[in-house]
Amino acid sequence: MMWKMKRLLVFSLLIFLLFSFFLLKLNFAQEVMEEEQNKITQAEENAEKIVPSPKDIKESIGIYVFVVWMWIAIIVLIYILRLKIKEVDRLFYIRFFSAKKK
Amino acid sequence: MNLLGKKKRAQSWFDERFGISGIVKFLREKKIPQHKHSLWYYTGSAIMLFFVIQVITGFMLVFYYNPTLAEANKSVGRIMTEIPMGWIIRSIHSWSSSFMIAFVFIHLLSIWITKAYRKPRELTWMSGVFLLCVTLAFGFTGYLLPWDDLSLSATKVGTDIPRSIPIVGVWVTKLLRGGEDVTGDTLTRFFGFHVCILPVFIFILLAVHVYLIQKQGMSLPLAVESKKEKIQELPFWPNFVYRESVVWLILLGILFTVAIFLPPSLDKSADLMAPAPEGIRPEWYFLFLFQALKIFPAKILFINGDTFIVILILVEFLLFFFLPFLDNKPAEIKGKFITFLAYVTIVYAVVMTVWSLL
Amino acid sequence: MVSFLYPVIKFVFPPTREPDQVILPFLDFKDMKPNSVKVFSWGSKPGFVKKNKNGSYWAFVAVCTHLDCNVTYIPEQRKFFCACHDGWYDENGTNIGGPPPRPLRRLILIIEGEDLIIKREGVK
Repeated sequence: MMWKMKRLLVFSLLIFLLFSFFLLKLNFAQEVMEEEQNKITQAEENAEKIVPSPKDIKESIGIYVFVVWMWIAIIVLIYILRLKIKEVDRLFYIRFFSAKKK
Repeated sequence: MNLLGKKKRAQSWFDERFGISGIVKFLREKKIPQHKHSLWYYTGSAIMLFFVIQVITGFMLVFYYNPTLAEANKSVGRIMTEIPMGWIIRSIHSWSSSFMIAFVFIHLLSIWITKAYRKPRELTWMSGVFLLCVTLAFGFTGYLLPWDDLSLSATKVGTDIPRSIPIVGVWVTKLLRGGEDVTGDTLTRFFGFHVCILPVFIFILLAVHVYLIQKQGMSLPLAVESKKEKIQELPFWPNFVYRESVVWLILLGILFTVAIFLPPSLDKSADLMAPAPEGIRPEWYFLFLFQALKIFPAKILFINGDTFIVILILVEFLLFFFLPFLDNKPAEIKGKFITFLAYVTIVYAVVMTVWSLL
Repeated sequence: MVSFLYPVIKFVFPPTREPDQVILPFLDFKDMKPNSVKVFSWGSKPGFVKKNKNGSYWAFVAVCTHLDCNVTYIPEQRKFFCACHDGWYDENGTNIGGPPPRPLRRLILIIEGEDLIIKREGVK
């Protein structure tokens, strides 16, 4: 009987500890969050200067990728335009269009 | 009927009513001379590119911007922090304005030095001078809109400068400020200038400017013209447009890269009662004027230093405006002296700007 | 023509007038240290109430006479300073350095019991 009671006690204590840990953790987390939120709102209120930048790592990587792709696209387009320029200049010098009119 | 036929029919339908083929024919026949100074011909279209970017990003910003005393700074802050991609749009608007004004200066100086304002292009030059004023006014009014400490002080100084003009000055200041002092009314008024009044003027002036250029064709620099050789020419469409596209693409790439990596920041909302912060500074294109105001003494020959500067600026502006008539013999000593003045102006502006940054 | 333009011109210049006088509770200014200033609003401009070394009070419009920037008081140097174009005034508001052409504008300051009355010069 005693043994059973002891076991129950240890068991319930364990469960309590477990839950209390969660409880503590939950409370703690909430407090931290609140503190952080307070800090953020304070920071926002005290914000002397807003320095814009990408919000998170995802956005900043997105931007780097965009810049790289943009320059690649520009280089490709310039290459195509160079070919086009050569072609239209050639057509102009052999008087392709004016010959056709006559 | 096949698709091509339909397209042809639609084209001829519009052509009958619009006369597009006339424009296309004109553009094909428009010739751009090719010589060693041809590079300057690209500056005009570069300005146009940045102007178009300004219009588009401006439309976007106005969706969220709020031109009132309480909300202006907050709404810009909101654009920069909450609105997705807002900080990039603002950054592009801000950088593109700087690029545009830089190219306006380059365009203007190139025309001054190559003397492209010679007869019959006097009116083109004059409309250009007005365009310069409107562009600078865009820059000046736009600088106030974020309503932070820097922009408030810059606007206070900028709107107080006309006060020194005899007789009308006080009224000009009042008109700009919407009252005796810079207040929330000034902000709303500047917003009105920036998005309503100045755009109307710039579109009219641009139309006149571009029409005159098309009517008279491209100017040849004096040095090239006097050689009397046959100059190589290229059609505007498509040969020159392709070349311009290359320039546009490069400029766009530079603009976006700079705008993404160096976005402008936003100070806290301006306080009308707070003292001016240390190190106030206008936009870079007004720095030469700012430095002049700083170093001029309080009194010169019985008049105020700033009255003196304002009168000086007005006289210079009038001379500048009537430059095509003053420079009526460009090849002779007078013309050479006027070209020399252009270089002096560049040196003066650069020295003053660098000095103000020290 | 004039009759058309008149209302337009009238419209674009809103009626703004400087206040004739401002009444402030003296309590707010009683505990000021000598050689210090306190800001009050003079219309839409800032004004300074300055307590001098001998304990007397003066009032200024805290706006630079050069190009309208708000000035600040530096107690250590006993000078007013305008950051816009480096203008300096001494503790009496006299312009002593930089571009300002005139001294700071003085306002008449009267202490009447609990009230601090600040008046424009020439107003009765």
